[in-house]
Amino acid sequence: MICWMYPGQPIAFTDTHCSDPEFQKIALLCQKTTGFNPVEFGSSSSDLNESVRLQLFGACTSLYRTSQLKSQGRGPDLIAEHSMGIYPALAASGSIDSETALALTSRIGVSMARMGLQRAYALGCVIGLPLGSLAVIAANHDIYIANFNTSRHFLLAGERGKVDAALVEATASGAFSVSIFPCDAPLHTPLIEAITGELQQIVAEYHFAEPRIPLVEHIGQTPLTAAAIPAFLVEELCRPVYWEATYCTLRSRGVTRFQEVGVGSALAKFNRWIDSET
Amino acid sequence: MSEELIEKVKQMIIDSLRIEGMSPDEIETDAPLFGEGLGLDSIDALQLVVAMEKEFGVVVPDAATGSTVFASVRSMAGYIGEHRK
Repeated sequence: MICWMYPGQPIAFTDTHCSDPEFQKIALLCQKTTGFNPVEFGSSSSDLNESVRLQLFGACTSLYRTSQLKSQGRGPDLIAEHSMGIYPALAASGSIDSETALALTSRIGVSMARMGLQRAYALGCVIGLPLGSLAVIAANHDIYIANFNTSRHFLLAGERGKVDAALVEATASGAFSVSIFPCDAPLHTPLIEAITGELQQIVAEYHFAEPRIPLVEHIGQTPLTAAAIPAFLVEELCRPVYWEATYCTLRSRGVTRFQEVGVGSALAKFNRWIDSET
Repeated sequence: MSEELIEKVKQMIIDSLRIEGMSPDEIETDAPLFGEGLGLDSIDALQLVVAMEKEFGVVVPDAATGSTVFASVRSMAGYIGEHRK
């Protein structure tokens, strides 16, 4: 069995596909839908901030890669997603079209960006510490573990100053490496519940068809149904991403090949680590 | 340092990072492994740390040490040569 995996927001823009007419088609759809053209990443006149632009760039790349794979006659038996990868994953499953995936990416991104106007938030990547140690550090600094990627790769989220302090403690506790990324909102934490009303209103404006290809979500590792999708799109922003559990579930269901459909290869690297431990 | 150790390090990189379709000859001994060159990142670094400990019994304690050790295949082989038990 083959699984296509849709990664979350990239941390940087790359122009790898920008000269490909197929990518440009998706970029134009993005411009029409959101006002932002990822081919003109740095110079676009769009008023979307950098985080939302990166989210849209990631979504466009995933939609482009999906289109490429399909044009080669390839298709998955299952689909999985990580964080903001949910929108192109829904498009790949047949639940929504590409335009809706881009509109949702943009509107939800803009909604979260408003949180960043009131307070500075950050994501902190910690590599090398086990979960037990990191959970204590997160609790010490009143922040959250937002991504459980592998037994030694986690993402923390919360207020910027608190994440900074937690990373100092993580380093002192023996983390192999730490890095911080400023972000608009404390993604995948209960702090997002402050804007769930707004998010629910956005999601309610769209229709979700039954996925034609099973899409396994990253919280409880169950296949999403059309009826469950709107609530999941809000809940997933308030709860962590359990990638290791998702990958292990997919393997136990018989998936033997994983194809990352988006920017970079972070998910494949997480999988490689998980495989090395089993 | 021996050519044999350099070849072993190259093979360890290929195996631990599951780099498909690449042979040891294709990895330049002095080319940077991170950023340019093989384009490795911090996720790969920890995988290499574990592989080095398993295969050579050599510990890279933190990312600061790692940034020197993982500069190239030659620097990895040099570190292993110095610290191997």
